[in-house]
Amino acid sequence: MSESAPKPSSSVKLVLLGEAAVGKSSLVLRFVNNDFQENKEPTIGAAFLTQKCNLPSRTIKFEIWDTAGQERFASLAPMYYRNAQAALVVYDLTKPTSLVKAKHWVAELQRQASPGIVIALVGNKLDLTSDSKTADSDEEGADGEDDSGDARKVSTEEAKAYAEEESLLFFETSAKTGHNVSEVFTAIANAIPETSLKSARGAGASNTAAGRASEEQRVNLGNARESGSKDNCAC
Amino acid sequence: MESLAETEWDVVISGTGLQQSLLALALSRSGKNILHVDANTYYGGNEAAFSLQEVDEWAAATGNVEVTKAEGGLSFPRAYSIALAPQIIHTKSELLSQLVSSKAFRQIEFLAVGSFYIYEPDNASLNRIPSTREDVFSNTSIPAKSKRSLMKFLKFVLDYDAPPHRETWTPHADLPLRTFLAQEFKLDERLQADIITLTLSLDGNITVKDGLRSIHQHMSSMGLFGAGFAAVVPKWGGLSEVAQVGCRALAVGGAVYMLGTGIKSARASEQRIDVSLSNDIDVKTRFLVKETDVDTPTMSLARLTAVVHSDLSSLFDATVEGAPSPVVAVVAFPAGYAKTPDGTASEYPIYAMVHSSETGECPKGQCVIYLSTMPQPNAKSLLDNALSSLLGAVGEAQVPEILYRLSYTHHQRVSRPSDSNVVTLPTLPLDLAFNDAALASVKAAWETCTADDDGEKEYMVFEDREGADNDDYE
Repeated sequence: MSESAPKPSSSVKLVLLGEAAVGKSSLVLRFVNNDFQENKEPTIGAAFLTQKCNLPSRTIKFEIWDTAGQERFASLAPMYYRNAQAALVVYDLTKPTSLVKAKHWVAELQRQASPGIVIALVGNKLDLTSDSKTADSDEEGADGEDDSGDARKVSTEEAKAYAEEESLLFFETSAKTGHNVSEVFTAIANAIPETSLKSARGAGASNTAAGRASEEQRVNLGNARESGSKDNCAC
Repeated sequence: MESLAETEWDVVISGTGLQQSLLALALSRSGKNILHVDANTYYGGNEAAFSLQEVDEWAAATGNVEVTKAEGGLSFPRAYSIALAPQIIHTKSELLSQLVSSKAFRQIEFLAVGSFYIYEPDNASLNRIPSTREDVFSNTSIPAKSKRSLMKFLKFVLDYDAPPHRETWTPHADLPLRTFLAQEFKLDERLQADIITLTLSLDGNITVKDGLRSIHQHMSSMGLFGAGFAAVVPKWGGLSEVAQVGCRALAVGGAVYMLGTGIKSARASEQRIDVSLSNDIDVKTRFLVKETDVDTPTMSLARLTAVVHSDLSSLFDATVEGAPSPVVAVVAFPAGYAKTPDGTASEYPIYAMVHSSETGECPKGQCVIYLSTMPQPNAKSLLDNALSSLLGAVGEAQVPEILYRLSYTHHQRVSRPSDSNVVTLPTLPLDLAFNDAALASVKAAWETCTADDDGEKEYMVFEDREGADNDDYE
C-alpha cells in the first residue's frame, strides 16, 4: 500500500434526530472536536459541522446538520431531510419515552428522506449505566438504578431487536466518555452504498446522474463578475 | 427549557412566507428571544412548494382548487415539488445581495433562467426574444432597420436614469411603455411585444417608468454571475427554499419554531403584547410581527400548473458558450394571442414559466409548466389553450402528454398600517420576477424590532457560522 495516489473523497449529508436533551449535539461535538460539555445549553449557533472519516479505500466528509431545535414542535423543513444520505437517530437509554420518540423519527425518515438513507439508532448516555464500568456486561439493567448506580431504563436487547427489525445500525454510546462515538460514524461511512457516493457534493443521493449534471449548472453567487459588481454589495 | 408562556419573548413572528422568513434571517444573530409560528403545517405561506400529496391536502383545505391526474405516468408524490408562486430572481436583485451578505446563499442552489419566447399564432411556433445586443446582432429574423431602432433602445435603457436620457422619458413616465417605444424609438409591434414580454408585465400595459426600470434590471443583470443569463431560481421549488433557509437560520440562532399554530388574538398594552396562540397558549412579547389580516385581495392571478411527459429540451439550449444550462424558459402569449374554443381572445398576456427536471421540481423526462394570467372571464379555458398551444409549438414529433394539472386563483393581500409594536407584513406581490420593493417592509419590521438595541447594526450582513466552509470538497 502506498500513499501516492490520493484516496477518493466524498461528501455525505448526515442529519440528527431525536428527542430534546438526549445528547444529539454532544455526540457530534465529541466526534468533531473530541470535546464534551456538561450541562450544555440546547443547541444554538451551529448550522452544520463537518468532519472527515478515513476509510481504507476512501475519505468520507460528513456534513452534519443539527435540527436547530426545529424538531421540538415537529417543525423541521423539507430541506432538512432532502438528500440526506445518513441519519443519526438518538435516544437516551435512561429514558424510555425517548426511544418511543426515536421510533417516530425513524418512521418520519422512511416517509420523508431519500429511499437509500442509512439510519443509525444510537442509545446515548451509557456513562449513566453500570455497563460503563464493565464494558461488556450483557445483564439487563432495567431496574434498580440507584443501588447499582445504574440509571438504564432501555435494555440493549429491546433497542437492538427494534433496530434489526427496521434494518438500522445500532450502537450504545457515551458522548461524555467518548465510548463508541467514532465507531458510529465509521459504521455509517462504511454502510453508505458506493453508488450514492459518486458526486462530491452528495447532491445525488437518489439520482447520481442528475446530481452530477446540476453541479455544472449550479450558479455560484460567491463569484459576482467584475464587470457587474460595482454596485452589487456582495463585498 | 422554560415554558412558552413563562418566557419573556422579544419578538413573536407569525407566518413563514418569504417576507417573514427574511425577517427571521435578519434577526438570526440578534440574540433575541424569538417565537416563530405559522398557522399552516408547512413553511413558505403563499410561496410554499408542495409534493403532489401536499397539493391535495392544501387543495382540500383551501377550496376552489382543481387537480386532475393522468391514469399513469406520474412518479411518486414526493418526486415533485410544485411551487405555488414561482418567480425568477434577477441576478442584480437586492434579494440576492442580501442572501450573499447574510451567507444564507450557501444553503441554496441557484440555477440559471434561460431564454424568453413569444408564441407566434400564425405559424404556431415559438420565437426567441433577443435579450442582449449580441443577440440582436446575430438575429436573422429582424429587418436591419428595426435592428438599428432596437439597438438604439437597448443603449438608451442601459443608461436610462442618467441625465441625457432621463429628460427623454420623464415627461411620459406614466404613459404605456408600448406607446413610448412606438413614438420615441419607432419600434414595430413585434419588437414592442418582445420588450413588454421581458418586463413580465401582468396586464401587458406597463408604464414607461416601471417598464424602463424593469428592462434595465434585466439588461444589467445579464452576465453578472456568469455568461448568458439574467436571472436565477432556487432549486427545489423556488422562494419556498429561501423561506426555509431563513427560518432555519433563525432556529440556529436559538428561536423556537411551531408550525400548525397561528395567532388567535393579540392585545397590546404599553410595555408588552399579550398574544393568544391557536393552541390556547398565551404568550407575552415586546414586538409582534404578523401576517396581514385584511381579507380583501388587492391582486389575484389565475394559475395553471401542469406536469408534462417530456423534457422539452428544445427550450433549454444555452445560447452563449460557457453558459450554465438553463433550467427555466419563459413563453409569453401577448394579450389576444390565446383564445377560448369559442374564439374569445385573452384580454391580458399569459406567461408560461417552463421548469426542467433540473429544478428538482419533477423527475427526469418531465417538466413543470407554470402558467398565469390576470383574472378574466374564461381565464381557465385561456390558460388551457395556451398550454396546448405551447405543447404543440415545441417541435416534438408527438405532442407531449399532460400528466397533471393544478388550477387555482392566487391572492395577494395588503397589510394594515403597523401600530408601534405590532408590525404587519403584507403578502408577497404576485409578480413573475421578484420585485425588490417587497424587501422594504421586511427591513422596516427589522428596524422596529431592533430599535432599542445598542451598538451599530448592519442589516443582513453576517459572518459564516462555525463549520460552514466554502471549499469544494476536492
